[in-house]
Amino acid sequence: MKKLRILALATCVAVILSSLAGCGKGSNSQNASAASGSDGGNVALTFFNTSAEVNTQFTDLFNAYHQSHPNVTITLIPTPIGGQQIQQFQSLLASKKPATMANLDIGTVYTYKDKFLDLTSEKNYYEGIAQAGAIDSAMLDNKLIGIPYTVQGYGLLYNTRVVNKALGTTFDPSTIKTRDDLASLFKKIQAAGVPPVMIHGANWSVGAHYLALSYALQSKNVDDTRKFVGDLEKGTADLSKNQIYNNVMDTFDIMKQYNYRKNDPLVGDYAKDASDFATGKCAFFFMGDWIWSQVGTLKGIDKDFGVMPIPFSNNASDYGNSQIPVSEPKLWAIDNSGSTPAQQAAAKDFIKWCLTSKEGQTALVEKMGFNLPYKNVTAKNTNPVAASTSKYIDAGKTINIGIITYLPSDYYTKTGDSMLKYLAGKIDRAGLNDELTSYWKSQTAH
Amino acid sequence: MRQKKLKNVGTFLIFGGPSLFAFTAVVLIPLAFGLYLTFTNWNMATGTHAFIGLGNYKSILTDKTYLEQLWFTIKYALLTVVISNVGAFSLGLILSKGLKGQTFFRTGFFTPNLIGGLILGYLWQFLFTQVLPFMGQKYGWAIFQTSWLSDTTKAFWALVIVNAWQLMGYLMIVYIAGFVSVPSDILEAAAIDGAGRFRKIISVILPLSVSSIVVCLFLSISRSFLTYDLNLALTNGGPYGSTELASFHIVQKAFLSNEYGMGQAEAVILFIVVAVIALTQSAFMKRLEVEA
Repeated sequence: MKKLRILALATCVAVILSSLAGCGKGSNSQNASAASGSDGGNVALTFFNTSAEVNTQFTDLFNAYHQSHPNVTITLIPTPIGGQQIQQFQSLLASKKPATMANLDIGTVYTYKDKFLDLTSEKNYYEGIAQAGAIDSAMLDNKLIGIPYTVQGYGLLYNTRVVNKALGTTFDPSTIKTRDDLASLFKKIQAAGVPPVMIHGANWSVGAHYLALSYALQSKNVDDTRKFVGDLEKGTADLSKNQIYNNVMDTFDIMKQYNYRKNDPLVGDYAKDASDFATGKCAFFFMGDWIWSQVGTLKGIDKDFGVMPIPFSNNASDYGNSQIPVSEPKLWAIDNSGSTPAQQAAAKDFIKWCLTSKEGQTALVEKMGFNLPYKNVTAKNTNPVAASTSKYIDAGKTINIGIITYLPSDYYTKTGDSMLKYLAGKIDRAGLNDELTSYWKSQTAH
Repeated sequence: MRQKKLKNVGTFLIFGGPSLFAFTAVVLIPLAFGLYLTFTNWNMATGTHAFIGLGNYKSILTDKTYLEQLWFTIKYALLTVVISNVGAFSLGLILSKGLKGQTFFRTGFFTPNLIGGLILGYLWQFLFTQVLPFMGQKYGWAIFQTSWLSDTTKAFWALVIVNAWQLMGYLMIVYIAGFVSVPSDILEAAAIDGAGRFRKIISVILPLSVSSIVVCLFLSISRSFLTYDLNLALTNGGPYGSTELASFHIVQKAFLSNEYGMGQAEAVILFIVVAVIALTQSAFMKRLEVEA
C-alpha cells in the first residue's frame, strides 16, 4: 500500500516537473535566440510576411542576403493568403516573441505604432532615394515607423484591344475629362456590342477603393480629410449634402448602369472577374495594377492594358478627374518591443540593401512584381498595368488616399456592405446615405 | 479510513492526473481567463485594459445586429439539425439493409467529413458561383441563372445545404451503429405480429434508437451553432454581411473591429445559448429511451 502511495506521489511530482521543464525550455531558447542577436557578431532576424503570395521569393532573397552577409540569418514567418494574418501577428506580440521585421498593411502598422521603432531620424536618407512624395505618404502621425516598398495605383483599367475595336479608333484616355465624357464613352462601347465596365462586387473594392475616394477627394492634405471624417463621426458634417460625395456616387451610378455583372452584381469572384477582363469579355474594370499577379500567368489573355482616371464631375479641372488614386498599402516596420539594438541595426541595413542594391531590387520588382516607389530602379516590371500607373505617378497625377490608414479597421466591411446593397438595388441613395451616416456616428462611441 | 481516502486520491491521480492537468491547462484556465476578459475593454494594440464591469454585456444586449445574427444562427442551426438528422436517419436505414455496394456508399457519404470545412467551402463556392449559373444559363433553369451566394435567402440555404450534407455522413455512421444493435429477435417478432416495413421503423427501430438520436442531435446542434470555417469559405458573411453566423461575427468583432472584450462576451453568450439548448434536448430525449 505504501508503495502505491509513493508511486502516486512520484507521478504527480513527475507531471508537475515536466510541465515546469517545458516552461523552462521555452524561456531558455528565447534567451538563446535573443543572445545570438548580439553575441559573436552573428545576428538572427525574423521577418513576418503578410504578402503571402511571395513567401518563397522572400525566402530566396533572405538566402541571397545571407550569402553576402554571412553573419545575418533571416527567417521567414509565413502567413496564409487571405488567412488569419493579423491574428498570427497578435499572438506573436502577446507571447512576447515579436518578429524583428514585419511586412504589414499600413493600417496595422498604425494600430500597433507603439510596438515599432521610430525611424524618423532616417527620414532624410529615405527622402533622398525615394520618388517625390513617397515617404510623406508613409508618415503616420508625422512619424516614420515603416518603410514603403511598394506603390499601387488603381482606377478604370482598360483592355486596349477591346476598347480600340469597339471605338474603331485608337483610344486616348486623356480625352475622357468629365463625367459626361465617360457616360458617352460607355454608351458608344455598348452600342458596339461590348459590355462597357465591370464592378467587382466585393466590399473591399466598392468600400475601400471606391467609396473612400469620397473622403480622400475632400482635400489634397491628409490632415484636412481626417478632419472631415472626424466631422462625420461627430455628426457635424452631412454626407448627403456633400458635393464631392454626391459626385463620386453619381459616377458610380453610371458605372452601375453599364455594369457587365448587372444581372448578378454581387458574385464578387475575384479570379473570375479578373480573367474575364483579361480575356476581353468587357472593356473596363474598376481595379488596380495588382490584378497582374492574378492574370499575368494565365494563357490566352490580352497583352496590352492601361489605367485611366475616373472623372467625378463635369468640370475637367476638378481634383480627381485627371488623377489616379495611389497608395503604399504595405510597410516594413522594425520591432521595438522585444528586439535587441543589434537586431534592429541589422534589420535597418537589410531594408536599405533591399531597396538600393541591384539584387534586392531585382527580387522585389522582377520576381515579386512590386512597383518600387524609389529612384534609380534598374529592374524592369513586366506588369503593363503597373507601367501605366507609373506614368501617372511620375507625372504627379495622383490622388492621396492616405486617409484610409486612419479609418476604423472595420470601415470597409461595414460601409462596403452598404455599397453592395446599393449596387444590388436593395437600397436607394437615401438609404445608402442613412446607413453611412449611422456607421460614422456609431464610431464616436469608441 | 484516512489512509484509504489518500490511496483513492493517489490512484485517481495516476490514471486521471495527466488528463486532468491537460484539461485544466487548455480548457478550464482559458475559460476562466476568457470570462474575466469580458469584464474589461482589452486592447491588443496598446496591451492595456481596464475593468468595466458588465458594460460589454449591456452593449451587446442592446446591439440589434448581434441579436439579429444570433436569431439567424438559431434558424440556421434548427434547419441544419432537422435536415441532417432526417437525411442521416434515412441513409442509415437504407445502407444497413445489406444492399450491394453498401460499404462503398457508406464511405462515399462519410468522405466530406474527412475534408476540412475550408476546402469544402471553396469547392461549393465554385459550384454555386460558376458551375450552377453556367448550367442554369445553358439550360434555362431560372433557379440557377444567378449565383446563389449573391442573394440573401439563397445564400442562407446554400449554407444550410452544405453543412447538412457534410454532417449527414457523420451522423449516418452513428445511426447505423444504433440500427445494428437493434436485436433481430424483436424485429422477427414484430414481423410475425404482422408489422409492415413502416410500422417496424416507427414502433421498433425508432424507440430503440433514441440513444443514437440523442447523440446525433447533440452533435449536430453544437456543430451547427459553432460553424465557422464553412461560413468563412463559402459566403464570407456575404452578400453584404447578411450571412454572418454567430462565430463568424465574434471573430470579426474581436479581430477586425479590435473589440476583444465585446467579442469574448458575445462568445460567452453563444456558449450559454448552445449549452442550454443542447442540455435541455438531451435531458428531454433521455426520458424517451427504452430498453429492448
